[in-house]
Amino acid sequence: MTYDLILGTAERVFTDHCTKALRDNAESGSKDDQHGVFPEDLWTIMQETGLHQVGGEQSGTSLADAFRVIRLAGKFALPLPYPEILIGNRFVTGEGLTTVAEGAIAPWARRAERVITDDGQLVDEFDVVQGANLAGEPRDEIIFESSESVKLPTNFRAIMAMTRVAAMSGALEKLLELTISYVGERKQFGRPISGFQAVQHNVARMAGEVAASTRASDAAIEALDTDRFVVQVSAAKVRVGEAAGIVAEIAHQAHGAMGFTHEHELHHYTRRLWAWRDEYGHEKEWQQLIGCRIASVGADRAWALISDCAD
Amino acid sequence: MFSGLDFEPARLPPEAEALRAGVRDFVERELPGDYLRNSDFNEGHAVEFSRKLGMRGWIGMTWPKQYGGGERSFFERYVVTEELLAAGAPVSAHWIADRQSGPLLLRYGTEDQKLKYLPPITRGESYFSIGMSEPDSGSDLASVQTRARAVDGGWILNGTKLWSTDAQRNHYMVALVRTGPAGESRHEGLSQFIVDLHDDGVTVRPIKNIAGDEDFNEVVFEDCFVSEENLVGAVGNGWEQVTSELGYERSGPERFLSAFRVFVEFVRYVGASPSDEESALIGRLASHIMTLRQMSISVAAMLQAGKNPATEAALVKSLGNDFEKALPELVRLFAPDLGPKHPLRCCLEQTLLHSPSFTIRGGTREILRGVIARGLGLR
Repeated sequence: MTYDLILGTAERVFTDHCTKALRDNAESGSKDDQHGVFPEDLWTIMQETGLHQVGGEQSGTSLADAFRVIRLAGKFALPLPYPEILIGNRFVTGEGLTTVAEGAIAPWARRAERVITDDGQLVDEFDVVQGANLAGEPRDEIIFESSESVKLPTNFRAIMAMTRVAAMSGALEKLLELTISYVGERKQFGRPISGFQAVQHNVARMAGEVAASTRASDAAIEALDTDRFVVQVSAAKVRVGEAAGIVAEIAHQAHGAMGFTHEHELHHYTRRLWAWRDEYGHEKEWQQLIGCRIASVGADRAWALISDCAD
Repeated sequence: MFSGLDFEPARLPPEAEALRAGVRDFVERELPGDYLRNSDFNEGHAVEFSRKLGMRGWIGMTWPKQYGGGERSFFERYVVTEELLAAGAPVSAHWIADRQSGPLLLRYGTEDQKLKYLPPITRGESYFSIGMSEPDSGSDLASVQTRARAVDGGWILNGTKLWSTDAQRNHYMVALVRTGPAGESRHEGLSQFIVDLHDDGVTVRPIKNIAGDEDFNEVVFEDCFVSEENLVGAVGNGWEQVTSELGYERSGPERFLSAFRVFVEFVRYVGASPSDEESALIGRLASHIMTLRQMSISVAAMLQAGKNPATEAALVKSLGNDFEKALPELVRLFAPDLGPKHPLRCCLEQTLLHSPSFTIRGGTREILRGVIARGLGLR
């Protein structure tokens, strides 16, 4: 499959099947209506169309393609552990759903056939303690006695962080689109609120954060096969994580009380952003990685490292 | 309707990267050890340094060879300018001529004007100031009141230009003046002239800024005669001409690197074993710089491809200016009790004192946000 074909397929599948109801039903948590219903039909379609193995060794696609389709999934708030499925299928083969655990916490472990842990264990017999992140996405603790070892690359944590960067940049673009469209429709004082300068400036600020996030995410993907990858992912996780807070805040402010309701879909993106920025290292962890690297080369070579021509 | 911002992926090509080491060596060789480095493009008017840059072919790099240029790409110019700024080299003497006045003349100037003005600029010998703002015209540029009246063989200028950086040291100004009625759009009747700042009828008064420096000026024209050969472009076309260069003016590395030397001195200050908090701050600042740089290079690629990324350029400048203002504010809390001669303290104080200008010059934050909002379809 070529990349354009994948993206076209993904866009069609996500548009047709990723409804607000599906996302609501998939939510897990302590509230009465959080049933954690796995979207079986969507998962079947993903497998039939090959979207479940983008970036896999045999799929004819690259890891960069996987990140790009994860970004699109972020734009739709896809209620599947999609990054874990793609990264899992890249490193192990097998029927059914493979997920990846950060420490002992794995998205949708309750529904998975096997779990790869980020320290390189493959687990196919495990107990689950159900849990969820603040977006209601299942984040289950796994308990197991035995495992096989699976060879993961040394930059595995950066790869997983990159999945969150990509998903966040997609969600951020969606928030900008939702907000631009809302402020153009919502009328107060006899005109669309987009006519007010205070609103315009907030949306302009938001656009800056979103554009920076998209660029940071793309730059990290472009660096995938180079020795700059980890630094670029670090910078992207830092920058996009920072943008997530700012953009979610402005998006909610622009949507007013309407956007604070469960009925509106805004929270499917803002809550995911609040959750994803903490997964695989929040900003501080990655700030320190870059900071230590710059400190180790010293002041006079700091620019060389930043302008990525460090030898 | 909003169709997405267009920051296409772009990397600097190898021929541009190849220039980097040479610029670094040059700066290290030419700058005295005790020179207080400053990454603000407005600071540091150094005639000898500019001439040496000219001799290396690093001014007017993209211009045609018959006018002294190097026929290099925008990417090559990008590398040279970002290396000079990152190193904190003095570039203000030739900066405006290289970035703005030269390209303006290349696009709209007569053959005689190009032959007369461009080669000395590329040699680092001839410097230009901007003549846009006035006492009553800042962000609202269309309201300029300086007038030019047609006379035999030329024009008579009367009026006052304000905030013209280095006008007391530079040779020429490109002045935007009213030559006819504004019309309904308010954009008609404006024209640009090259004015020799040493001519009779021109008075240049430096204005001291809050840092105690005299960088910007008031420039008064009193019955100042300007020959018709000094008209740039067509009479009445001034608005189109001044707005055409905004992509170049707003997206360059000078829009996010003004405070960069504070970052460098902070890295030196914390040394090889920073605390967790110190390394986090360094990493945070570096992440912003890396991202802004990627965005800025992306705009350079669009310019190289002949596009007009006005919204994207405004966005880079706006984000970049906010960042370069935030940088000293964040660093200062980590560096208390520095002695009066400490390099980080000197750098911090210099940058802080100049920082109010970052979000004013070249389009205020408020104007830029308006430009971005328009690009997003909100107005």
